[in-house]
Amino acid sequence: MVIAFVRTIILYLLIIAGIRLMGKRQVGELEPSELVLALIIADLAAVPMQDFGIPLLTGVIPIMTLLCITMIISVLSMKSVKFRAIICGRPSIIIANGKLQQREMIKNRFTVDELMEELRMKGITDISTVKYAILETNGQISLLPFSNQNPPTAKDLNVSTEETGLPVVIINDGRVLEHNLHTRGYDENWLEKQLKAHGVKHPQDVYLLTSDELGRTYFAPKEEEK
Amino acid sequence: MKRIWVAAAILVLLFTGTMIHSFYISSVTEQITTILHEAEIKAENGEWESAMRLTETAQEKWSVRDAYLHIMLRHNETDNVYTGFREVAEFIQCQEGGEYSAANARLIAELELLAEAEQLTLKNIL
Repeated sequence: MVIAFVRTIILYLLIIAGIRLMGKRQVGELEPSELVLALIIADLAAVPMQDFGIPLLTGVIPIMTLLCITMIISVLSMKSVKFRAIICGRPSIIIANGKLQQREMIKNRFTVDELMEELRMKGITDISTVKYAILETNGQISLLPFSNQNPPTAKDLNVSTEETGLPVVIINDGRVLEHNLHTRGYDENWLEKQLKAHGVKHPQDVYLLTSDELGRTYFAPKEEEK
Repeated sequence: MKRIWVAAAILVLLFTGTMIHSFYISSVTEQITTILHEAEIKAENGEWESAMRLTETAQEKWSVRDAYLHIMLRHNETDNVYTGFREVAEFIQCQEGGEYSAANARLIAELELLAEAEQLTLKNIL
């Protein structure tokens, strides 16, 4: 059992080191330590589940060890910037003031093709319009265009807009969500009026009904089954 | 900060528990193998009844910890030890000197390997 304990720690640290060496683009949306945890726990839990000849503790001890290490790492990451940089890495600037930072790209094993793909996905065709492109520690790219490339906001145009607030779902696939109905300050009479206004008799015939803070509704009747 | 201490405490607890387990297994198997060695000396001197009594004592020492051993060890390892005891007992009953010695040596080796596999050594980790 002590072997399982020590092996778990060694494998965990080894896989974290491996993931860090692979570079950010391999990581996806998870932090390295979270990815390692997800990778190992699923397998550890599966083995004693399938093989009854193995004691349950063989799975439980490594899983508890991993969870404790992850807890310690996450707390230390919050407390220490240096420790976080070691475990999760630092964001890398791969475009600065419209210029490609080739050394950073090589360091992160990030190819031009991948960069172009990311730029296209974010609707950017001209690298020179990008003030900063940052490869985040979770493998995502944040793009910050030059301020003159940003679309104007309503504030920039001095246009007054209404705050619609958060729309809530009143009817979801034929089911009336009473709690949402009453939270918005409506009752069954209001619901009946809404149904009548849209030419529907029963809530079961409604696919979606939402209402925002200004009282505006969105109505979608259920389509007839073919 | 409290969470980190709780996690560290659980880690220490797990480590201590696993170390206690490896010492315990080592001690239990050592006691049993010592008795099995004594039984073999008795059998070599033709004292088959004493050899049988000692082997039964050794098996009893193993059986009283059945639940613990089943929870902590791989089930095929505990099953092999049970089979070994049965085999040794049969050879004593038949008073088959050569066969008994071989079966007893195999059982002792199984017990020693079982304890050895639980020890915190570089060889086991790697």
